Amino acid sequence: MSYPGVLCVWLKALPQHFKHGVIAALCVTGLSVSAGASSAEGGVSSAAEAAPAPVERSILQWIERMHSAPCARPYAGTFVVLAASGAMASSRIWHACEGAQQMERVEALSGTPRTIFRRNDEVRTFWPQSRVVRSDRRDASGLFPRVPLVEGTSISQFYAARPVGQERVAGFVADVVWFKPVDSLRFGYKLWSERETGLVVKLQTLGANGRVLEQAAFSELDLNAPVRVEQLSRLMDATAGYKVVAPVVVKTTATAEGWVLRQPVAGFVPVSCHRRAVSADDGAQGVLQCLYSDGLASVSLFIETFDPQRHPSQPQVSGMGATQLLAQRVLPDVWLTVVGEVPLQTLRLFAGQLERTR
Amino acid sequence: MNNAVRSDGLVGGAVVAEISRREQLSALADGQLHGDEVADALAYAAQAEGHATWQLYHLVGDVLRSSDLAQPANPTFMARLRNELAKEGPVVRPAAAAVPRVDVVAPAMAEAANASVFRWKMVAGFASLAAVAAIGWTSLATLQGNGAPGATGGAQLAISPESGANGPSSGAPVVAVADADGGAQVMIRDPRLDELLAAHKQFGSTSALQMPAGFLRNATFETPSR
Repeated sequence: MSYPGVLCVWLKALPQHFKHGVIAALCVTGLSVSAGASSAEGGVSSAAEAAPAPVERSILQWIERMHSAPCARPYAGTFVVLAASGAMASSRIWHACEGAQQMERVEALSGTPRTIFRRNDEVRTFWPQSRVVRSDRRDASGLFPRVPLVEGTSISQFYAARPVGQERVAGFVADVVWFKPVDSLRFGYKLWSERETGLVVKLQTLGANGRVLEQAAFSELDLNAPVRVEQLSRLMDATAGYKVVAPVVVKTTATAEGWVLRQPVAGFVPVSCHRRAVSADDGAQGVLQCLYSDGLASVSLFIETFDPQRHPSQPQVSGMGATQLLAQRVLPDVWLTVVGEVPLQTLRLFAGQLERTR
Repeated sequence: MNNAVRSDGLVGGAVVAEISRREQLSALADGQLHGDEVADALAYAAQAEGHATWQLYHLVGDVLRSSDLAQPANPTFMARLRNELAKEGPVVRPAAAAVPRVDVVAPAMAEAANASVFRWKMVAGFASLAAVAAIGWTSLATLQGNGAPGATGGAQLAISPESGANGPSSGAPVVAVADADGGAQVMIRDPRLDELLAAHKQFGSTSALQMPAGFLRNATFETPSR
């Protein structure tokens, strides 16, 4: 069984004109595949023809609508990722809900063969070549059926929702909304929400001056796919013949670990702290990961003991798409890595505010 | 020219005759001698001791260029090669082609007009040693590999140092990073950073926008380290 569809991600380093070229190419592919499923819409300018007034919703209404959308209908599609280097990755996706249970299957079509299953907050990644299954548990806070609002954040205080109109994406008419940040400590977002269900069919992360840092879109989508939860569930539990690996994760708090932010970074509140082994080199202690969020963007602080063998003396910066990374020695014996979908200056603020309490 | 040579310290005054003669051989190998000095050096190289020194210098040079060449000459093979070279006139051509490659490996040496004189004299009056010095090892590799004479050996000589220089840097790809003001920076990437980046993507992104497209994106995205 195969239900075709395409969703794409573009990264910032592509020149603007090239991005458009790729979008056009992928959309054409999507249209030709889905021609049978979607009624012939004619041109790409259907937004102008339909032309109902842009829907005015508050940012929280938008988020709630988008969040409940995936369970409106089972769907299937194909997801394509374009990296800054020009590399492309794609995966096939199945999604279904039943009651409060949400299931998803993501099968990577490029790179190392792997299939990722998610059942609510439980994630299993199958690597068929090495016969290994990795089992992880995500924080349930971000998942259906609850709206993933982080307690204490006030999204509406730091972002303003502005309807931009309607566009056709993957054969579906979508409302376009711009989440504009009020300061330069976070990125902006442009979202394409399918009109009927509210499903996010395209997502752009915008840097300063409206530059697109990262872009994701379904270029083809089947919103009537016969995907069933028990089907996916059965596949997810078929671990026979696989070695099941479940990394140890210990829940903790920043205070308990002896860390505090002298001053909170505007809008970002602490979400969770865990100790986990990120790689085989991490000792029994693992790495302390503390997560902060302003409701839309998130920042991880990884705190570990400074090791001159592994860590350079100079600060490091890196990035992938909209995600930025800053690593530096904050105390003689402490190496801090800050990662988040925020501008580098926000990461610097976090690094500067971190203080040891004991 | 003389000034340049002296400033190199390769051809000093006649302090100790033996050392001076060896230095002359070294300079000869580097193509820095001319006139009577060439004749003197060639005369010394024709003697048993000079010959051994000459071979040793070239072995040193070869090892410096590539560790694959770190083995002494095979006297039997060299003798045979020398005989064959003496018999066949056209074989002079690969020798002439091989010598410039020595120039390429040591481009800092000033030789210009001098070099061609040196080469010519070596080919004409010094055939046996020239064979050992200029084409010995490369020809050996060529003959053993049954490859095309001259060309293949030369390619190896030219490529070895280059690939050695590229080796260490290839493990550290350079990535561009967007700063807050939109300016692009370039830095070295570290596999550990990729791991933490992936950990953040997998466990950190609990925000409202991460579902469902964010999850799909992260699941599809293979981190560069994997």
